Amino acid sequence: METVAKIAVKKTEDEKAERVMTAQAVAQAALKIQVSNLNFYYGSYQALHDVSLRILSNKITALIGPSGCGKSTFLRALNRMSETLRGTRATGEILLGQEDVFAMDVVTLRRRVGMVFQKPNPFPKSIFDNVAYGPRINGLAHGTSLADLVEASLRRAALWDEVKDHLRKSAYALSGGQQQRLCIARALAVNPEVLLLDEPCSALDPIATAKIEELLYALTDTCTIVIVTHNMQQAARVSEHTGFFLMGKLIEFNETSLLFKKPACKETEDYITGRFG
Amino acid sequence: MSFRRFVALLGSIVGATLIVIVAFLALYAWPAVRLNGFAFLTDNNWNLGSLYANPITVHGQQIMPGAHYGILFLIVGTLLSTMIALLIAVPVGVGAAMFLAEGVSPMIRTWISLFVELLAAIPSVVYGLWGYVVVIPFLGHHLFPFLVEHLGFIPFFGGAAGSGYGLLTCGFVLALMIVPLITATLRDALVSQAASLHEGALALGASRFEAQWGVLLPAVRRVLIGSSILATGRALGETMAVLMISGNALNYLPSNIYAPISTMASFIVSQLDSALTDPTGMAVRSLAEVALVLCVISIIVNGFARLLLYYEGRQSAGVM
Repeated sequence: METVAKIAVKKTEDEKAERVMTAQAVAQAALKIQVSNLNFYYGSYQALHDVSLRILSNKITALIGPSGCGKSTFLRALNRMSETLRGTRATGEILLGQEDVFAMDVVTLRRRVGMVFQKPNPFPKSIFDNVAYGPRINGLAHGTSLADLVEASLRRAALWDEVKDHLRKSAYALSGGQQQRLCIARALAVNPEVLLLDEPCSALDPIATAKIEELLYALTDTCTIVIVTHNMQQAARVSEHTGFFLMGKLIEFNETSLLFKKPACKETEDYITGRFG
Repeated sequence: MSFRRFVALLGSIVGATLIVIVAFLALYAWPAVRLNGFAFLTDNNWNLGSLYANPITVHGQQIMPGAHYGILFLIVGTLLSTMIALLIAVPVGVGAAMFLAEGVSPMIRTWISLFVELLAAIPSVVYGLWGYVVVIPFLGHHLFPFLVEHLGFIPFFGGAAGSGYGLLTCGFVLALMIVPLITATLRDALVSQAASLHEGALALGASRFEAQWGVLLPAVRRVLIGSSILATGRALGETMAVLMISGNALNYLPSNIYAPISTMASFIVSQLDSALTDPTGMAVRSLAEVALVLCVISIIVNGFARLLLYYEGRQSAGVM
């Protein structure tokens, strides 16, 4: 909570006390992911500067900021998806529970830390096979137990009732919102501890967006959720904690209600009140 | 004339060419078709007859005495050599395309791809000569005896190893000629697949191979089918290289995979000279009938491919 502590110094005594209490509450709750001094480079370009952040278990954490601020890069560092690009490099430490993410087997890591992308990316397979893909390649289930797992995952993604009679249909026959929920079901099928969502609603209409937001809250019973969003109302609606990124730096991180009501930094205030970004 | 009409005219000329060629071929071969009947496809006997005797009249057609035209051995040779070529080329082509799309850096991909494409640009006679000089001695002296000895228990793998000219040699060389077609097309399709599919698979804990095999390859099924059909067309019609390495079997059905064969395309070339000595002209007309059969087989293969793609497309669109 280095950042929060730094910020606290700038504020009045009252607010300082309030923020220290928040910091303590954060420290006491179960930590899921602890990021310390993360720097990230695309070739010679540094996209993240010394980011430190704690993500709490079974909570929704939102990351906001203008385009190109590094929030997606940060998210993709958490399951090392960033490594799929050539010439990237990261320094610092990311702990998943107690384990060092950079030292883990990447396949195990990505099974434990699932991801949903900005544009729905269903595979060119049937609805069933899309959800069954993860369990199959990871050898988690087959036969009836696989069918049960697929059903359970689709139910959790609030899609089961809409597709239960068409499981053999191509996933491409679904609407955009359904496809995105299918992608969430697909990610859930390998039973991840953490679910990363990279602007999951940016390609969806408001009704489809509302459905996904509803379902995210229900998922926190088993998952820790980190969501990158352009939409500040969305961050305010769904998350318990919010981090504000600007030009590769984590400017402010706090409980969502505090961050939106009483931002500690000028930049945060300017951004959330719409002065730029 | 408006540009639109001009382009429409050009387009119809291209389309009409096919019809004109097939129609001409059919017209020219028609006397042979009537003479040979259905037995042309099922008889295993190509015989020009006694060329120095006087022509006789059969079914109202003048032919040389003893002349008989049956090309079962050509059909079998053509289809089997193409099948073997595909059995070798499709797995190799898919593997190479996956390697080029995912296994190497873009720079190396560009270079290797260049070589793959150049492989497709080599004239087939060069493949033939290379097959004749290099492949046949190696296969005939080393590989075939080895296969007979160790895999002889498998049907069609045993028996006489032969001289190196024959079915399997044709399969190998044809495979080499069509691999670039499959690899180049499939590589482009794989590379152009949305990176999001690849990422989606990786994010579920798939290895790079699993992502390629389980997600990207199914996404380009249509391209794979399409390029395989193109490759089939090339293998069916390949003339020069096959002529040089097939052993040019006449009236002989292969008893194992090493046996000499002949294919329709190469047979037309190899027999045209002697067929022209037939004063009745029936031999050349029968060769034209061979060409007609080859055309029809190619059209059937193409039609089958289109049917396959049509059902594929319906599935992908979720109609089923």
